[in-house]
Amino acid sequence: MKWAYLGVPVVAAVPLLLTPGQLTTFVLLGLSAMTVVGLSLLMGYAGQVSLGQASFTAIGAYTSGLLALHHTPPLLALAAAPIAAGLAAVVVGVPILRLRGHQLAFATLALQLILLSVLGDADWAGGAVGLQGLPYLSIGGFELDDDMDYAYVVLVGVLLVSLIAYHLVHSRVGRGLRALATGEAAAEASGVPVGAYRLLVFAVSAAFAGLAGGIYSFFLGYLAPGSFPVLLSIEYVVMAVVGGLGSVGGALLGAALVTVVVQLLTTLATQPGMPSYAPSVLSYAVYALLLIAVVLFVPRGIVPSLRKSP
Amino acid sequence: MGELAQYLVTGVGIGCAYALTGSGLVVIYRVTRVVNFAQGSFSVFAALTVTTLLAAGLPHGFAETLAVLLAGVIGLIVGLVATGKPGTTAQSALIVTLGLGVFAYAVEILLWGDQPRSFDGIPGSVGGIQKHYLLIIGVTAVVLGATALLFARTDLGRALTATAADPYAARIVGIDVTRMGLLAFALGGALGGLAGVLITPVQQVSFDSDVALVVSGFSAAILGNLTRPGLTLAGGLLLGVVQTLVGGYLSTSYQSEVALIFMLAVLVARAGRRDVLEAA
Repeated sequence: MKWAYLGVPVVAAVPLLLTPGQLTTFVLLGLSAMTVVGLSLLMGYAGQVSLGQASFTAIGAYTSGLLALHHTPPLLALAAAPIAAGLAAVVVGVPILRLRGHQLAFATLALQLILLSVLGDADWAGGAVGLQGLPYLSIGGFELDDDMDYAYVVLVGVLLVSLIAYHLVHSRVGRGLRALATGEAAAEASGVPVGAYRLLVFAVSAAFAGLAGGIYSFFLGYLAPGSFPVLLSIEYVVMAVVGGLGSVGGALLGAALVTVVVQLLTTLATQPGMPSYAPSVLSYAVYALLLIAVVLFVPRGIVPSLRKSP
Repeated sequence: MGELAQYLVTGVGIGCAYALTGSGLVVIYRVTRVVNFAQGSFSVFAALTVTTLLAAGLPHGFAETLAVLLAGVIGLIVGLVATGKPGTTAQSALIVTLGLGVFAYAVEILLWGDQPRSFDGIPGSVGGIQKHYLLIIGVTAVVLGATALLFARTDLGRALTATAADPYAARIVGIDVTRMGLLAFALGGALGGLAGVLITPVQQVSFDSDVALVVSGFSAAILGNLTRPGLTLAGGLLLGVVQTLVGGYLSTSYQSEVALIFMLAVLVARAGRRDVLEAA
């Protein structure tokens, strides 16, 4: 955790040095990082693959967006985002967390597809067009209408979820979870409430994603089902696996590394003379190759491997 | 012919594609214990390949056969990457196949662009039913029948089944377990490719159609817990028919949810039963 005290002021200075385009990437990176911290916790400690994490981002975003459009104070609307996502996770978690491995992977994927389809058909959520004209976030009468403002909102968000994740991992619950990750039967026999803890991690990871979604809705000002494709969930998995599961630092590094590499390649691919499909081809290839290479050759992910090696 | 009969035939036709995709998953899972997330990519890749081969002037039949064989080769490659490195667990292999599915996106957009594509099937209709659906049903019946015979009656099939039942014992009696796994991947790839080639004339395909296909195939196969070909066929047909009826009589917007909700229900019900068994 010591590195973090040094890292925070350094990262806090970064937005001041960025161009407007890079600032947008920075905000989106931070939002991904918030979600990935939760997913990494879920995959690392509960030992489960979720291929539907973006559905909780969507639930958070739509909660904030709908409340803000119906004249709820923006800060209250933002606070409702993680709560709604966390509650949704508890509701679906009770039946589906009994599943394991590939079954849970497919179940979470199915839930996201159902959610996207429902949102696309729902008139109250704007259907396939989505929600438009969302207000800016405002805190005590001060309206956050600048990308720079959101860069700091996101930084606070990342710090918040990282601290919660860190303390969760290093608490009694965290010890129970580690026991759970190494051997479920042994943990259960030692009195760890396996089901409750697993549900707790699922809900916390969903709440993180929901908070990121809430900030996203105010940052972009519009939402559509298409903003949260299955591929977004897969991106989160790539980031979590690359950085290292069950590690807050790994989640942050994974999100940063994948976002920066994809952004660099996109910049390269949008140079004059490059074909129009180049950006998508390159970003898919990067996600795929990073994921495969890390799973096969650095199975624990980058950060845990660095930490354990002498 | 009546509306209901039309829906039934269409539903069985579409269900055949699900059953083929699901059978591909089952063949691979039984032998290697890997759930192949890239299963839908085989279908998409084969279908897109057919569009190119037809444009190059190859006759129907020949183009489709070549594409299915190519899908088999791609299945072999997926198997090599996902299970070739010693010590890869089934869970890691699942994530590797997920990565390979995304990699297929890059290749497919590079070669064919990101717009949906299709090609002509068999033209004409009998009594209001497109003839192509009858072709889908006929080919699926022959291929799944042949696959069942392969597993039940040939030495190769018995070796595959032995590997599925007990890899350790299979190795002792001299079966090359790794080679059997790769063979299963090739067979799964060809079955997936066939599903794509058959369904594309009645349903356009684009690079990201693979998610819907693999989810439908998994839904069909989960009824038999990913290990039973007969139940996979039944599951696929059931899903296809129910989806078509829902689309025809209720609303097309609920169509895609049918397979998803069915899958969730089967999974959760089975998990509940397992809990009871474990507690007993």
